[in-house]
Amino acid sequence: MTLLEAEPEKTYTIKEIQTDDEDMNAFLFRLGCYSGEPITVISKKKDSCVVVIKDARYNLDSLLSGAIIV
Amino acid sequence: MRIAFAGNPNSGKTTMYNALTGMSEKVGNWAGVTVGRKESPLKEEYSHGQEVIAVDLPGAYSMSPFTPEEGITSEYVRERHPDAIINIVDATNLSRSLFFTTQLLELGVPVVVALNKSDINEKENTVIDVAALEQKLGCPVIKTVSTEKTNSGLKELVDKAISLNGKGQVAPYVQADIDLHDKNQVDAEDRKRFSFVNDIVSQVETRQTLSSKSNAEDRLDSILLNKVSGILIFAAVMWLVFTISQAWLGPLVADWLVGYIEGFQEWVTEKMADSPAILTTIVADGIIGGVGAVVGFLPLVMVMYFLIALLEDCGYMARVSAVMDPIFKRVGLSGKSVIPVIIGTGCGIPAIMACRTIRDERERRATAMLSTFIPCGAKVPVIALFAGAFFAGAGWVSTVSYFLGLVLIFLGALLVKVVTGYKYRKSFFIMELPKYKIPSIKRAFFSMLERAKAYIIKAATIILVCNLVVQLMQSYDWSFRAVEEGMEHTSILASIASPFALLLIPLGFGAWQLAAAAITGFIAKENVVGTLAVVYGLTNFIDVDELAMVGGANEISVAMGLTTVSALAYLFFNLYTPPCFAAIGAMNSEMQSKGWLWCAIGLQLCTGYTVAFLVYQIGTLITEGHLGQGFVPGLIAIAVMACVVFMISRRIRADFDRQYALHGGKIPA
Repeated sequence: MTLLEAEPEKTYTIKEIQTDDEDMNAFLFRLGCYSGEPITVISKKKDSCVVVIKDARYNLDSLLSGAIIV
Repeated sequence: MRIAFAGNPNSGKTTMYNALTGMSEKVGNWAGVTVGRKESPLKEEYSHGQEVIAVDLPGAYSMSPFTPEEGITSEYVRERHPDAIINIVDATNLSRSLFFTTQLLELGVPVVVALNKSDINEKENTVIDVAALEQKLGCPVIKTVSTEKTNSGLKELVDKAISLNGKGQVAPYVQADIDLHDKNQVDAEDRKRFSFVNDIVSQVETRQTLSSKSNAEDRLDSILLNKVSGILIFAAVMWLVFTISQAWLGPLVADWLVGYIEGFQEWVTEKMADSPAILTTIVADGIIGGVGAVVGFLPLVMVMYFLIALLEDCGYMARVSAVMDPIFKRVGLSGKSVIPVIIGTGCGIPAIMACRTIRDERERRATAMLSTFIPCGAKVPVIALFAGAFFAGAGWVSTVSYFLGLVLIFLGALLVKVVTGYKYRKSFFIMELPKYKIPSIKRAFFSMLERAKAYIIKAATIILVCNLVVQLMQSYDWSFRAVEEGMEHTSILASIASPFALLLIPLGFGAWQLAAAAITGFIAKENVVGTLAVVYGLTNFIDVDELAMVGGANEISVAMGLTTVSALAYLFFNLYTPPCFAAIGAMNSEMQSKGWLWCAIGLQLCTGYTVAFLVYQIGTLITEGHLGQGFVPGLIAIAVMACVVFMISRRIRADFDRQYALHGGKIPA
């Protein structure tokens, strides 16, 4: 499932980043967001969510949350 | 020697740089405050008499840049060969920061790691084994707290960096010899690097507070990031900033200051009683009167700068950016466009520069194009003057000015979206939410003083010269004879400004004096106030109540001969036409496209003209029951503008379609 279906306050392991936008993939990678790494959903809204990746909190929009498969 | 400061965004590089050099570069609690390279020698106490230059660089997550400002960093450390690098690492986020550290260590330049924000780690009971980290990385590691005066660790850090001058650096992790064009190989290599970093972190870091646990800040975030409450709170916060600075506290101080300026002007006039009249006019009215009128508004601007600095320091900016993203996206901008807009309330130039952190080129250019619609600090005196003279100081004038600015940004963005055919592209939004911190009153105070200084310098240089020139041009005609009273329309100024004034008749303010003030406004927006002071011989724009009592009627509004409707139109015209030349210069360098720049200037001119036209004509229709002067010519002018926009749009779209046809529907990089 994507992060959009994930439950808040749960830690998941990233399965893959599903996108044809190579930039997005590389951008997320530098933050430590890539397959095999843990990601914690702190809170979730209809079209955005707050996650923890490597000790930092980020706000992701729906495009990103929909591309991160956990 | 040169020491480069490099590290992840929001790790505290500029705060450290400021502490070490005594400079006061802009700092703020969000990722991407610094967008350019800054250099300055270290303070004597750190450099011990040697010439050591500190180079502050924008934050970067890795050596491969994504945004223009990150490119500055990787280009500098790679190509310019600094003698040492101080790598500022956010100690609360070792696992992400060390990725970049290991890349820096490969450059062969000696690196010293500054474990910054160590105080937060202590509070959260996170322990980092510094000795073990030093050994794993193969470089010195020093705990630092840049915000502290004593025990900051900065002295030790700099001493270490200086002692390494001329030495090399052995890398703990060396990238394998791979084909850098092969995405899969690069990916695999970067994974290895990250797992190397993960190994180090698991060995040197012990955490008691897990960052993945929800905490009080998350609860605050859920309110600030909520679509309804978040936007309401943002509106309330901005309203408070403007109201406190422009209606409550600001005018209170300004009133007091203006008294002194007037006293000074009278004193000078008295002292010059024996000098030729023209000299007295130039010095007392032109220089002191014009500059004084501008400086009188300084307290309003200072209070606003102070409040904005507090906002920037506490971590709220990132939240606003996140909560506004869905709305801004709808019109083709990004949540990151909010930051330039807020910075723009202070000054348009740093606002336009702040656009550099926006990844998507079209969004970046559109933001740079539109962010100056929000009135800047230099426009505050103009707003305050008109609110005071024509609307009895009503607070709604300022609120409406900012709100309308925001509306114009949205409409402008929509127009850009339509014109450029945005639907083809998609951009994503990610914003780091930094830890909240209690804003430093001291830093906000100094930031305010710094900007106040710049304001006064501007008033004493550019504005003074402009006022002087305006005064002279108004006092003489083309054969350099002094203009007699009642013959003002023969002056040089009048003859130059009159043709422009003709164009402004449909907007309700076809007087050459007003046209002249609008034109000098392009040099610096404060000039609008300065020039009006000079051409109408007025100084006290603040204490309008007193004027009303003395003169029986409102002197300023009588002198200008404007109705309240045309005054509002004139105010909006000055607010929403192109910003000052300096800001246009900043736009030019950020957009890096002459086409975009000219479109921006054109759009701003059309917007200012159209808004003023609508306000005047509709306003007059409502208040007086008939349309204002020059309705038909004005309508024709606007129709011409609309045609030009339509033609530009067609051309861009035709280009676009050709491009896409060539790429078979694929988006070109």
